[in-house]
Amino acid sequence: MGKCPNRKVRKRRYSHKTARLAKLLRKGDDAVYDEFQKPESEKNPLPFDEDLPGMGQFYCLHCDRYFANVSVRDEHFKTKRHRKRVKEMMGSKPHTQLDADLAAGMGMPDNGPKLMSM
Amino acid sequence: MRLEKCWFCSSTVYPGHGIQFVRNDAKVFRFCRSKCHKNFKMKRNPRKVKWTKAYRRLNGKDMTQDSTFEFERKRNRPERYDRNLAENTLKAIKKIDKIRVAREERHHSQRMSGKRSKEMKEAAVELEQGIHMVKAPSVLAEDQSLTLPKIQVRVSQPQTEKNQPMEE
Repeated sequence: MGKCPNRKVRKRRYSHKTARLAKLLRKGDDAVYDEFQKPESEKNPLPFDEDLPGMGQFYCLHCDRYFANVSVRDEHFKTKRHRKRVKEMMGSKPHTQLDADLAAGMGMPDNGPKLMSM
Repeated sequence: MRLEKCWFCSSTVYPGHGIQFVRNDAKVFRFCRSKCHKNFKMKRNPRKVKWTKAYRRLNGKDMTQDSTFEFERKRNRPERYDRNLAENTLKAIKKIDKIRVAREERHHSQRMSGKRSKEMKEAAVELEQGIHMVKAPSVLAEDQSLTLPKIQVRVSQPQTEKNQPMEE
């Protein structure tokens, strides 16, 4: 039977996986931008989630981060990184596949004649 | 089979190349090679990375609007196979490609047009300022042929006659 390593060793061996998962779960720039562009659904209220800090209630939309309480979140709003993000979000739409296609020298996509009149 | 464009650099991704990444919101990101994939993971903005097509078009390095761009599009409705149409399309692709390359060449040469005169001007200024690196100033003063045509010192006769009595 193999030895079971101690807690520190197991954490070190597993931490790269958690880091990778955390990276994947973070929202990309265009997803965050889309959040700002939809006023009609009017921003659903944040659901209670035990795992997140502060029950998932205190959320910064620009940076996609959760905070423990209002004061921490407000402190975050003053940071340089956050203000930079806000400035970026005010700017133009982030790069999409359509932008890449147009940059490659293609025209607008051709979806053919409308099949069903809604 | 479709030839896709890379999300990051906008180059063509041929079958068997690159990586496709599907995000949680079902958006597909296609990359032509690991360079683009790694840049994406670093969250770099293609519009700011100098070698991508997005940057080049945005900053006027490459031609932006042209009628030849209308021909190549992403067509989401399948065409019924027609042999004549296929033959004509293949011929047209070759022709349009040639025209597009010629126009891009013209755009590039127009962009580079002022370069030769600018280089010559800079070279003339540098020569004037740095002539001491080519030959020592004392040599230049003695041998008039080595100096630039602008700097011409005429040796006047009356001066030498004056010097003779002094030397004695």
